[in-house]
Amino acid sequence: MIAQRLRFKTSSTTQFVDITDKLRQEVRRSGLRMGRIHLQSLHTTVGLAVNENEPLLLRDFESLLERLAPTEAGYEHDDFARRFEIALDEPVNGHAHCRQLLLTGFATLLVEDGDLVLGRWQSVFAVELDGPRTRELALQLDGDFEAGMEKLSSPIPSGVPMPVVRGGGAGMSGGSAQTRTAVDKELVEVELNRQLLADPDPVAVPMRRLVEAGGKRLRPRLVQLTAHVGPHHDPLRAAALAAAVELLHNATLIHDDYVDESTHRRGRPTVAAAEGPERAIAVGDFYFAKATRLIAEIGNNDVTSTIADALEAICAAQIDDVALRGAYPGNHESYLKVVRGKTAALFAASCAAGAQLSDATPDEVEALRRYGDLLGVAFQMADDMVDFSPSSGKPVGLDIRQRVLSLPLIYAAEDKEVGPEVRRLLAGSLGDAEVNRVTELVRSSDALKRVGDEARALVEGAVHELEAIELDGLRPTLVGLARSAVDRDS
Amino acid sequence: MTAQALQIDRELERLDGLWEDGLQDTYRSYMDAVGAYEPAERPRLALAAALIESGLKLQGLGGRAAAAAPLLMGDLCLARASRLLAEHASQSLQVAFARAIETMSANAASGHNGGPVRDFLVLALENGR
Repeated sequence: MIAQRLRFKTSSTTQFVDITDKLRQEVRRSGLRMGRIHLQSLHTTVGLAVNENEPLLLRDFESLLERLAPTEAGYEHDDFARRFEIALDEPVNGHAHCRQLLLTGFATLLVEDGDLVLGRWQSVFAVELDGPRTRELALQLDGDFEAGMEKLSSPIPSGVPMPVVRGGGAGMSGGSAQTRTAVDKELVEVELNRQLLADPDPVAVPMRRLVEAGGKRLRPRLVQLTAHVGPHHDPLRAAALAAAVELLHNATLIHDDYVDESTHRRGRPTVAAAEGPERAIAVGDFYFAKATRLIAEIGNNDVTSTIADALEAICAAQIDDVALRGAYPGNHESYLKVVRGKTAALFAASCAAGAQLSDATPDEVEALRRYGDLLGVAFQMADDMVDFSPSSGKPVGLDIRQRVLSLPLIYAAEDKEVGPEVRRLLAGSLGDAEVNRVTELVRSSDALKRVGDEARALVEGAVHELEAIELDGLRPTLVGLARSAVDRDS
Repeated sequence: MTAQALQIDRELERLDGLWEDGLQDTYRSYMDAVGAYEPAERPRLALAAALIESGLKLQGLGGRAAAAAPLLMGDLCLARASRLLAEHASQSLQVAFARAIETMSANAASGHNGGPVRDFLVLALENGR
């Protein structure tokens, strides 16, 4: 437990002082990871409030206080002739005491993952009702601290002028993006584990192996991020949807791996390789059904339809993908058709469904759907490039060996110089020597550069889609996520 | 062509061959099981059940694993059924069908023969009302 004092000076009679950042600073400095911060006003004319930091709204609050306890109404407290032992500088402030009665003098805020837990629009205010003065709040922080940090925490410097909220932006006061990310990630992992615990071992064990092997969790991340866009954000429902989407994605991978005869995924044996194709089909079906059930149980028809449409697009594209292998490596048009279904459909649906879950407007849903679609295609292009990168940690040339649709190969096959040899090699059987030679030819051409440029252009298109909608503090995260999806090496 | 036939026709994109190859008969056989639903809902619900049954059969669930092409066609059948249910069925029926597939696939993964697919799906239609 750490006890502190937070001192600040106010500059006007009534003033809403936003102390959110100072409290966050104190939480970080204390090393408190999980627990509570208790606040208590040490004055009878200073209240506390948790509300939105929007200048006009704060003016409304001030007007409300004035209407409820008018300054000039006349208060018995101010009739000094009837009071005993009053100080020489006793202020006329009956109205301020009455106003404080309408607020609260104490508050407890939750701390998780080293940051305050606040809703999207919430800020913490100390409300000066009889300023200007120097004021003081008592703070106590308790809970689980980082090792050794509790003792190192220093008291808050006194007399530091605090930010005045008038004219301050409302902004993302609901926890930093970093904190939200950490909490969201934890929630989806907990939900995945919870769901797997309830399932029979013959299906749960292989799925758990796949889930625990990692993966980027991009689709659940998109669900959780876009679930902040609308007015009704429920982190638990968002985590439930995100986990279901991840299970659905993994179910499609289990069948894909059997179809592609892949032996490993995420560094571990595929379900088909480890347990046989019969088990792989059953596990894929089980989680396909379970995920659709979990989504149906959320009870949002738009979300259910969005995911169902995506699932159908994925399955249709998978059929196209296998059919196109006869004309390997295909062309740009066929590539886009397959990738839009196989990869981008679930990216787009994740973005749209998250937004729908939070009751975002149709325009917002559609803009996010387009963002997800472009991001998904760009992501797949970047994934194709990894097959030619020796530093990626994945076996180079695996896509070529398995004749998986790949844009760098398509571009190399179209290249005037290397194209004829690439096409000739791909038309024959692909042993180590042929795969190595094709890889060499692709690297020597400008195919990888073309794919990289195209992927980055798509990402910029995705970022552009975000400009039309109000995203508050989410924009940097969505932009960063999109850019990092193509600027990677693994 | 009847309105019912038109409705069904629209849902058979990429599945035409399958329709001629047994899906049509399976669909007809489920029309009795959907008799308790609103007349307008019946064709799509019967088709959803038929697609699930045909899809699982194509995949070889509970038996010998299908080759890539029929497996993927089976996946498309399940996905189409899921989309039909999302658009036309109540939440309770969606859940009942999903639970039926979960039970059948868990049985298959465990090496148990839980009984005919149709029994599970007819029961789901009854439970989902």
